[in-house]
Amino acid sequence: MSVASSARTGSATAADTAVAGPERRPSRRTSRRVEAVGAWTLCAPYVVLLLIAGVVPIGYAFATALQTPPTPLNPAVGFGGLKSFETVVTDFRFLRTFGNIASVLVIWLPVMMIGIVGLALLVHASPGRFGNVMRFVYYLPGALAGVANFVLWVYLLNPGSSPIRAFWSALGLTDLKSVVVSGHDLSFILAAMLFFQGVGTWIVIVNGGLNGIDDAVLEAAQIDGAGPWRVAWNVKLPIIRPWIGYAALMNLAYGFQLFLEPQLLDQVASNALPDQYSPSQLGYAFAFSNYNFPAAAAMSLILLAITLGIGLLIVFKSGLFSEETH
Amino acid sequence: MAVATATPDATVRIPAGRRPVSLNRLARIVTMLLVAAAFVFPIIGFVAMSFRNADEVAAGQGGFLGLGGVSWDNVRFSWSQVNGFGPGSGGLFVRWMTNSLIVSVGGALIAVVAAIPAGYAMARLRFRGRRILLFVTLLAMVMPNTVLVIPLFLEVAAVGAVGELWPVVVIMGFFPFGCYLAYIHFMTTMPPELVEAARIDGLNEISIFTKVAIPISKQAVALVAFFSFVANWTNFFLPLALLSSNQNNNTVSIGLQQLIGASPLFNPTVAAGLNVKLYMPQLALATFISMLPLLIVFLGAQRFLMRGQTVGAVKG
Repeated sequence: MSVASSARTGSATAADTAVAGPERRPSRRTSRRVEAVGAWTLCAPYVVLLLIAGVVPIGYAFATALQTPPTPLNPAVGFGGLKSFETVVTDFRFLRTFGNIASVLVIWLPVMMIGIVGLALLVHASPGRFGNVMRFVYYLPGALAGVANFVLWVYLLNPGSSPIRAFWSALGLTDLKSVVVSGHDLSFILAAMLFFQGVGTWIVIVNGGLNGIDDAVLEAAQIDGAGPWRVAWNVKLPIIRPWIGYAALMNLAYGFQLFLEPQLLDQVASNALPDQYSPSQLGYAFAFSNYNFPAAAAMSLILLAITLGIGLLIVFKSGLFSEETH
Repeated sequence: MAVATATPDATVRIPAGRRPVSLNRLARIVTMLLVAAAFVFPIIGFVAMSFRNADEVAAGQGGFLGLGGVSWDNVRFSWSQVNGFGPGSGGLFVRWMTNSLIVSVGGALIAVVAAIPAGYAMARLRFRGRRILLFVTLLAMVMPNTVLVIPLFLEVAAVGAVGELWPVVVIMGFFPFGCYLAYIHFMTTMPPELVEAARIDGLNEISIFTKVAIPISKQAVALVAFFSFVANWTNFFLPLALLSSNQNNNTVSIGLQQLIGASPLFNPTVAAGLNVKLYMPQLALATFISMLPLLIVFLGAQRFLMRGQTVGAVKG
């Protein structure tokens, strides 16, 4: 919607300007070069940071992944080819961590998408102050990001302090460890944590997409006799489809970076959970428990490849960045 | 920002009072209020927790959401415990907050200084490599930033700077979303004719940026600074990998993890050896204090956020 369309206006005018300058043709080549030098000068700090925080570490991770890890018997590192990738992929935890992520995503992603789209549509159908207040309220938990959200969840999950203590005791759960460990609750708990922390921001985003819908379109639908449900389902939803796709893919990619929640839940549950629940945790363990940096680098590169694939889908297929990429 | 201007309400023409109270409308309002309650009550209860006392929490007293058990004395006691954490007379928490401020503000400053000119150049100048740079920026922006933490750790370890704050500041300074925000800002607020006119007036490319673009970039600067500060403040994995080896250089996000690990609720053996006792009220207070800078920044940036809502919302 607006982001892409305003970008579209921008590049259209840029093209016009490029065409509208034949009288300066003699110096065009030099002025182009001057412009390019200026542009790269302005981009220089950003490009340096891109190299330091993006390109160089990726290259260095590749180089590291191709080494052999030092061992007490052989402290020197050598060339190991793809050995470290083999170490990672054949590790008994490797597939399990992706299975865990899948079990969280299966619950979280549908709930998240229904929550985002449903609440954004409800907010959009509520004009005036009520809608604005609700949007702000839904955004609030999103402000409690990261560790803060986690501590809040410890408060909710711990029967000793929880406002839903009655619920936990009805289930026969008396301490935090039993809540976190019982059955397959972990996927549900993680899904709930991610939902609570993430849904508000996305409501604001999708609501932004809804606000970009032309009034005339909605009025026409109303004149045709469509009720609020039909307008939402047949008019609004198709128009904001790029935003929904964007949200789904961004959240999917986010799932693969899960680290903080399972790591700290394990800590508060007296290490009763798997130490390496998510792929990021496994990578972390390779680096900081086994000191096998080649394997840690290989694990990062595998995750990088997955999220890069999702990222490419977002950039090319979501339809939100089409002007920038074509 | 032009992006957010075309947002009048479709239904605003019908005065609210005259609308029939339909079942639909009632269902919508009730659903929204129920969801709102589910979102707000835990937060209220959690904030109230930082004003309560551990014995009453354990005994289940305090009434609805514990609001009956709040007092300043409790806060004062809890603070003495939180602030007492650390070797000797404690004081680690304040240190962590200071470190978080250093890396978050430093990272945000670098992000602004790098992203504004780059966003301008990508939006308004023609040069070879522009498209690739924009594409890489988009890609880096939509990828989760934790993916690169271990490669970054290897890089920082190679220069022997693990445990120091400055590499974290530099890495946080790379903020592709900020660059994209600046790009959209100049695309929408600065017509290309303005650049052409400035060229005809004899300004060189850098002067056009400093004399024409910068004066109209307040909105973009505010947004980049805000989003970058928030991202830096809440970042957990990067400081964990780069800073946890040096307890004095921890940020508050990993500090909170240490406080949790030192709580008798979750780790009685560690807690038994400490002078301070960190139960739920103390943990909630520490978390609450750690959120205050975010709250202040949010209030400060609010008018910019509302104006550029849609653009800002592309990534939260």
